[in-house]
Amino acid sequence: MIPDQTIEQTPVSYSLSPYTGSWTKAEAAHLLRRTLFGPTNQQILDTVSLGMNAAVSSLLTMPVTGQPLAYDPGETVAAFGSTWVNSLYPTGNTQPCESARLTSLAAWMIERVNKEQYSIAEKMCLFWQNHFAAEACLDSVANYNYVKLIYDHALGNFRDLVKQMTIDPCMLLFLNGATNNVFDPNENYAREFLELYSIGKGPQTGPGDYTNYTEDDVAAGAKIFTGWIPENLRSSAAAPVSTYNSILHDQTTKQLSYHFGNATIPNGGASEYSNYIDLVFQQDACATFICSKLYRYFVNYDLTTDVMTNVVADMAQTLITNNYDILPVMQQLLTSEHFYDISVRGAIIRGPIENVFGMFNATGSVPNFDLVTNYTIYLNMYYIMDAMGQSYLAPPSVGGWTAYYLAPSFSKLWVNSSLLKLRSDFASWQTVYGGFNINGNAFQIDALTYLDGLSLPADATTVIDDTADVFCPKGLSTIEKLTLKAILTNGLPDFEWTIQYNDYQSNPGDPTYSDPVRSRVELVLAKLFRMPQYQTI
Amino acid sequence: MMKRRNFVKTVGLASVATPFMLKGMKFQTIGKELFSTPKSLEDRVLVLIRLNGGNDGLNTLIPLDQYDNLAIQRPNILIPENEVLSLTPTLGLHPAMTGMKSLFDTNKMGVVQNVGYPEQNRSHFRSMDIWTSGMMDQSVTTGWLGRTFDAQYPNYPDDYPNAQYPHPFAISMGYEVSATCQGLMANFSQALNNPFDTFALDPSSVTDDGTYYGSHMAFLANLINQSNSYGAAINDAADNGNTLSTLYDDTNPLAVQMRYIAQMISGGLETKVYILNIDGFDTHDSQVEQSDVTTGNHMLLLKRLSDAVTAFQDDLHLLGIEHRVAGMTFSEFGRQVASNASEGTDHGDAAPLFLFGTCLNTQVVGPNPQIDSVITDQAGVPMQIDFRDVYASLLRDWFGVDETSVQSLFEHQVTFYDLMNACNLVGVDELDAKKEIEVLLYPNPCVSGTTIRFQSENEYVRIEVFDLNGRSVLVPLDRQLNAQQHDVYFETKDLSAGQYVVKIRKESGSAQTVLYRLQ
Repeated sequence: MIPDQTIEQTPVSYSLSPYTGSWTKAEAAHLLRRTLFGPTNQQILDTVSLGMNAAVSSLLTMPVTGQPLAYDPGETVAAFGSTWVNSLYPTGNTQPCESARLTSLAAWMIERVNKEQYSIAEKMCLFWQNHFAAEACLDSVANYNYVKLIYDHALGNFRDLVKQMTIDPCMLLFLNGATNNVFDPNENYAREFLELYSIGKGPQTGPGDYTNYTEDDVAAGAKIFTGWIPENLRSSAAAPVSTYNSILHDQTTKQLSYHFGNATIPNGGASEYSNYIDLVFQQDACATFICSKLYRYFVNYDLTTDVMTNVVADMAQTLITNNYDILPVMQQLLTSEHFYDISVRGAIIRGPIENVFGMFNATGSVPNFDLVTNYTIYLNMYYIMDAMGQSYLAPPSVGGWTAYYLAPSFSKLWVNSSLLKLRSDFASWQTVYGGFNINGNAFQIDALTYLDGLSLPADATTVIDDTADVFCPKGLSTIEKLTLKAILTNGLPDFEWTIQYNDYQSNPGDPTYSDPVRSRVELVLAKLFRMPQYQTI
Repeated sequence: MMKRRNFVKTVGLASVATPFMLKGMKFQTIGKELFSTPKSLEDRVLVLIRLNGGNDGLNTLIPLDQYDNLAIQRPNILIPENEVLSLTPTLGLHPAMTGMKSLFDTNKMGVVQNVGYPEQNRSHFRSMDIWTSGMMDQSVTTGWLGRTFDAQYPNYPDDYPNAQYPHPFAISMGYEVSATCQGLMANFSQALNNPFDTFALDPSSVTDDGTYYGSHMAFLANLINQSNSYGAAINDAADNGNTLSTLYDDTNPLAVQMRYIAQMISGGLETKVYILNIDGFDTHDSQVEQSDVTTGNHMLLLKRLSDAVTAFQDDLHLLGIEHRVAGMTFSEFGRQVASNASEGTDHGDAAPLFLFGTCLNTQVVGPNPQIDSVITDQAGVPMQIDFRDVYASLLRDWFGVDETSVQSLFEHQVTFYDLMNACNLVGVDELDAKKEIEVLLYPNPCVSGTTIRFQSENEYVRIEVFDLNGRSVLVPLDRQLNAQQHDVYFETKDLSAGQYVVKIRKESGSAQTVLYRLQ
């Protein structure tokens, strides 16, 4: 948290009206840093050409995505190289097959981030992954369906997503819906549904009263949600599915608190959960809650009174007007005056996924080997990001990652002495120390592809200017740029770099000329990725 | 600002110079242990272990006098009565906690029962915020230790480390800093994964331009500088330090981290607080195995905790630094009295916490929770001892912060308990290296009277009996004795039936033992 007195600049605007200011690389890069994981120099230039509105419209689309593939010998049902998401489990011991599928799923999730297209899709998916925060369940087909549910609704209707999530087999397992029945209510899901998924918990105003709901509402919700069970998990006979079982459902009429107008929920059988969710979503607090989370994730952690009463309130109004469709809210936000305000640029410290793919994606570094090698590399990345604090398929708790919600530090929680060291080591490893080596296949940050994508690679000054634009939300100082340029040119006059680069261009594929160029750029990137200026978006 | 030495008695070098065996101990450590300036509260270390997720107190510390009603409320998870490791006639531990049971029996472990706060909030997040901040006030963002440090070390982090305070004030083991140490401007704890692997980051001169971005740049630049300085100090301490216990299990992550802590403390690191974490206590389902309720997820967690603490305490003893270290567990809430049908328990209210170390006043603080045969839906264990008072008492007892200063760190009227000041009264924290003294109490349990047998030097001896609230109820002896074995008889017929702690304090070594008075 920044103490108020140190904020000297007040934002130019808390308005969501369309931004009409200048549209340069700085604004374009800001838009892309918040909607992609690591924009390239070319993507930034393209975005400048497109203009804000066209760029945002293009970003707010969900491309067709592939499916995770069978790659491990443990997968005995689906053929190697084909997808297993429609396959049943083998009879007998299912564990080897499940392990093969879970690692395939994890690798595929990371591959998606690495191969992201010009779309907000992956950023939205991580947002929802954090919002629902279910851990991987016992069945990777069900896990895939959970992930796919998020993907399919990432820019869709929030209420529908919550409804489907409520009876998703993974969610039923994760928050004990699977054992919540009329004989023995388990309130785990009912509580988190209110606290974390829909309306949000306000300050405690009395015994068991959390501003937006009460303990009695939690107990009533548990009864409302009874009757749904996941079936066919890890089955060799049928695919995982949720079924409603009226014998397990509490058929009484449930009484809600004054927060919901003392409404009652009569027995509604298989649609009762949906009736209840409709009723909860009649409270505008649901819109305010999700919009404040969107704001924190896409704009800035600091929900000041000004932000809440202007920006978030207007987002919430848009959400309500559009029947809880997310896309119009994002459209409005990403084209607003407030979003481009200089005060929120670079205000978010990169999480592990941002940190890792800020390096790989922005440099166009994508492994291009056989399936097994590619997936193995992606799994290695997965585990490293886990060590850095972000295991994509296993958020640390049902509240998601602390950096997205825990005051006062928020995204500062992504870095501390041990995590910063890990980031620093990783950056060095992936630039100057050779990167991954899987089955004899080396993969690291692709410095030459990066260099070739810059505006004027033969010019040392431009290389460093572009590098600052691509990676640093507020650029670098003159001295820092000179330092990096000295690393690039090895302290020689700039024209020596030009000669070196042109030699490399004239002798394609000849390591005698490409190696020195690559190693100089690797050294520049190694230094840059360890600087504070790289650590925010 | 805070008086930190008000409980310290200066002890001459003679009292710590008794020769004793230190097998395999590194030379530097011997030097530090025996010939440094007299120890004081300044050398004390507090170790906190967070049981993340809400620990089920009723299956951890089982009130045996409530067993019949517990059996009604939690039939599918309750530990069989004959498997419970009894600590007192009415209280027992989960059978996986054999190590902590032996610590209890040797006066190195204690429990505070029914700890919580008024109007329990059953959200993990809010409740953990309350436990880490030590405040009910929602707007408070500092941690209880962070506020304590802020009061003592102004201008953190800008002015630190410095020549006077070269070491980190607190260390959070793992990759996360603990919210307990959040100060006004920064978190006082350094996250540390491995003390042998800390090294230099590139320094930066980037400055704060007054924006959010600028605050991050300043934060990062300062973090780099601090990490470099603190990292070097931590590394030095780990290299100079030692570990002697053979009880650590390398497959137990908590034990591995506690071994690192012993290594750093013995190597001279002046860090005052270490925080550890175990995840997994949110046992809504499969808390126990259906086939054998003494096994399952909760058992594995409690075993890890118990084994790690036991190995750590053993190590501290062997290293001769046991008197400098105290520990406490905490969790955001206990769980409901009634179990659910999934062999689990849902979010509840109060729960016991554990204290460990050699300076405990009383081993069982607070009465057993009362479990009725019929309970309301969602009932938890009612709070009797406010966790903020436990914190406050530790700050007073262990770090010697005066009561007025302690009060200023909290929003409520603090009630102090005597939890950890047993070493303060006669300076026995200096005497840990002495041989353990043997005390025999017979008969025990007793009715009208009992005899205490012990050995003394030619020295001043005080024997005192305390009740479970830490109140002194009897002083059977308080005078100079000759060097010999003594039998001191004292009457107990005026004491009401129940559990008491008998303490002997003397220069040559203090001890305490539990006394039971029957009807």
